[in-house]
Amino acid sequence: MSLSIKKRFSLSRFSRGERTQGSSIDLNHRRVFILPNKAGLTLGFVILLMLVASINYSNSMGFVFTFLLASAAQTSTFFSFRNLSGLQIMSVKNAPCFFGQPAAASFIIKEAEGRTRWALFARIDACIVYIPRLLPNESYPLSVSIKPDHRGLYSPNTLTLSTSFPFGIFKAWAPLLFEQKILVFPTPVAFGQALPMSNVIDSDGAITSIEQGAEDFVGFKPYQTGDHYRHINWKAWAAEKGLFTHQFSSQHCPEVWLDWSACSATDTEAKLSELCRWVLDAEKLPVDYGLRLPDSVVSPSQGFSHQQHCLTLLALFQAPPHA
Amino acid sequence: MPEPRLNPAIIKLLLLIATLLVLPHIGSLQLIFIAVSLLLIAWCAVAHYFKRFLPNKWLLLALSLLLAFLVLRLHGMSLGREASSSFLLVLLGLKLLECRSNRDVLAVIFVSFFVLITPFLFDQTIGLALYSLCLFFLLLSALVVNNTNLSNIDTIFPYRFAGVIMLLAMPLMLLSFLLFPRMIGPLWAMPSDASNAISGISDTINPGQISHLALSKETAFRARFNGQSPTQNQLYWRGPVFWNTDGRQWTLSPSKTIKQQAISGPASTTFQYSIVMEPHQQFWLYALDSPIKAPDDVKITEDRQLISHKKLSRARAFDFTSSVQPTSETISEKDKSRALSLPDNTDIKIFQLAASWRSGTSNSLQLINNGLAFFNREKFYYTLTPPQLGNDPVTDFLFDSKRGFCGHYATSFAVVLRAAGIPSRLVAGYQGGIYNDVGGFWEVRQADAHVWVEAWVKSLGWVRIDPTAAISPNRIQHSIDLDEQRVGDEIKYFIDPPDGLAKWGQQLSSIIQTVDYYWESGVLAYGPEVQNDFLANFGLHGWEDMVLWLAILSGAFLLIFSVYLYRLNPNKTDPSQKAYLSFCKKLARRYDEKRASDTSLAYFGRISESQPVLREKLLRVRMHYLRCRYGGGRIEPLLESIKSFKL
Repeated sequence: MSLSIKKRFSLSRFSRGERTQGSSIDLNHRRVFILPNKAGLTLGFVILLMLVASINYSNSMGFVFTFLLASAAQTSTFFSFRNLSGLQIMSVKNAPCFFGQPAAASFIIKEAEGRTRWALFARIDACIVYIPRLLPNESYPLSVSIKPDHRGLYSPNTLTLSTSFPFGIFKAWAPLLFEQKILVFPTPVAFGQALPMSNVIDSDGAITSIEQGAEDFVGFKPYQTGDHYRHINWKAWAAEKGLFTHQFSSQHCPEVWLDWSACSATDTEAKLSELCRWVLDAEKLPVDYGLRLPDSVVSPSQGFSHQQHCLTLLALFQAPPHA
Repeated sequence: MPEPRLNPAIIKLLLLIATLLVLPHIGSLQLIFIAVSLLLIAWCAVAHYFKRFLPNKWLLLALSLLLAFLVLRLHGMSLGREASSSFLLVLLGLKLLECRSNRDVLAVIFVSFFVLITPFLFDQTIGLALYSLCLFFLLLSALVVNNTNLSNIDTIFPYRFAGVIMLLAMPLMLLSFLLFPRMIGPLWAMPSDASNAISGISDTINPGQISHLALSKETAFRARFNGQSPTQNQLYWRGPVFWNTDGRQWTLSPSKTIKQQAISGPASTTFQYSIVMEPHQQFWLYALDSPIKAPDDVKITEDRQLISHKKLSRARAFDFTSSVQPTSETISEKDKSRALSLPDNTDIKIFQLAASWRSGTSNSLQLINNGLAFFNREKFYYTLTPPQLGNDPVTDFLFDSKRGFCGHYATSFAVVLRAAGIPSRLVAGYQGGIYNDVGGFWEVRQADAHVWVEAWVKSLGWVRIDPTAAISPNRIQHSIDLDEQRVGDEIKYFIDPPDGLAKWGQQLSSIIQTVDYYWESGVLAYGPEVQNDFLANFGLHGWEDMVLWLAILSGAFLLIFSVYLYRLNPNKTDPSQKAYLSFCKKLARRYDEKRASDTSLAYFGRISESQPVLREKLLRVRMHYLRCRYGGGRIEPLLESIKSFKL
């Protein structure tokens, strides 16, 4: 893939990085840049002083060592480059997170050229991860904490992989911009009302409490992963008869509607936050919960994927800002 | 970047380096600074193991102020080499004590790089250069250790890296050394301390002057003749010429320069040679008596001195031509009176002696011979340890002590000649030298320093007269053997060729001197003049050419190096992947394009939909491809299954 002249010299290539289609980037001469860092500039000044002293005293050995130092510094840039080049960085699917809570962008760095790599830094915004070394052909799981600035689909900023190996006087860096999105749910916030209990509706239409609903007991079934702990027959467990759960008639499972209009908050974002809180709370109770938003309705159910579905709807509600 | 925590292992390495850096300064810097910096290093070593001895910020500040004051107190405000070297040493010690973070370590290493070159301001021997090269290597290793936060400095990795980089840096360094324009002179006036502790002939001569050099093994210069060498007794290396005397000492006065002569005379009396001269901080140079041709920046005076346009402050090589045949000259009235003037308080006994030499002859040469015969006849001794002389050294020497070195003989002879009415002057320089048959050059040592007389004889011009030769012919025939010499003993000369072990010893020292000669003439003498001449051989003239070619050649070197690195790591594609991709390309030509996001399953599936006939074969290719690429299978079945397509 060749670059147009304009793209080749655009500044963002050096800081933000080229956009990539795939989920994996190989570092090569096109991705890796190198410049002296602060220490390098200081060393440059020292070399200049040494040169002035050598010139002033017309000192041959002074010249020899001044030039040797400058040449070694110059040569070291190749090794800085080699410390990054040939690394393979893959972006990994990120777990969703809640807005305002710590999140992480995950990658895998793979050493593919059979050389040990030293002193790597991975940075997104202000968060820096130091990797003392990568062994030959090692795959290193990298996770950098990020702070999404809005709910919805969030693209982490550029991941910058850098190194100042071997002498600490040149910084080689590779800006890597992946097409990687993290789903950010709204912040769960309780606004007084714990759960809209009044909305618990029995299948026959009568408004009852959750406790009553839970008494429509049908029988036992062997425990399956995912069954609610409240439904486990602990007496049977204590008698060492095995692990069983109470089974309730599905028609009799209470339902609760988490309704947009029932929110005590007034602002859109606040309402979303409250609904988010309710979804999390309702999942902990033995109830089927449904979600009613102005533009969509999710029929009552429960379980992890149902919860994720509801939270995703909340996250993506009304084309979130900055998306 | 966050500051990784200070790596304790590196302190040990830095302590070692700092100690090794201080050692070469012993002898050139004042002892107090050596002691102070070693103490600071020792303090740092103690504090490394017992943290409670670490100085706090305020103590360090007070210490720094105190030491800065000490440097200023002892060296003044001069920016000379001693002051700055002392200052850097103290700074190194203080910075070492202050090491708290990786950045401090970097500062210590950077200061160390500067301290590495300060001993060269005083001395530039091969030994020191090799020593510093080792230190340079350690410093690079320290940079690597610091940068990688290695907790263990015994592993070979940082040293291997530093070594490789140092080797790779050599060609670039050589290029810069050869091509960096040297004509940029001193950027500011050299502080006066650059000229202290010089050895060699000074700008005044008194009778006892030369004897302090007599036991000095130091090299004054080395000369290599193109073609045959003159004989040992022709080797009078002419230096400054003295006209003025106040009875006690002789001083220099400026002389007119003359144009250089065309080379004339028979080849047997003309010698071309190159001289590599040690820095002696004087304007005059030494050449075989008497010089007739010199490089453009060296003037030849009327009295055959070679005067450089600036003080010789570093080793330099010169190409001279000399003729040992006396040339007939005229003498001006002014010079004649200069060459006859005597101080008013000259003792009457000297005039009586002069009259006794003159008696019975009107011929100047005869008179001179009478004088030489006088030295031979009377009980004069040639000795390196003459007695102290009084206020009138010439009279004391001639009539009382009668023991002396070449300085005594030459000064008193010149005074008596003047008293006798023969214009005379004093020439200082060197006589003889040791031929090094390994390197094929003459080595002239400070011990060969010599003073002789020149007298004006009508029809002959200035004639060289060496009264020392009359007393001690061996001095002129052979060089003094310094290894055998003891103060107060009889003088030993190189007369018999040594044998046995001594022969091997001499051979070894010849080899060492030869290495040193090439070091001096090839490396140390590489200054503006040599650089100009050397680069002119390649058609490079002036600093513009040098800078241009420095840029071109170092750029080319870096380019070659990067290409080499690039070739070293070609894009390694798995052979099965290569086969698969080329197969996909061929398929694309006939059927459907493979998109970047397509897996083999998706792509082959799409083709099978439109070409159901191919389904079986495609499945087989896919199976062999996956097996070969991920399952460790062999590649042949894949290639065969691809071949069955006959694309």
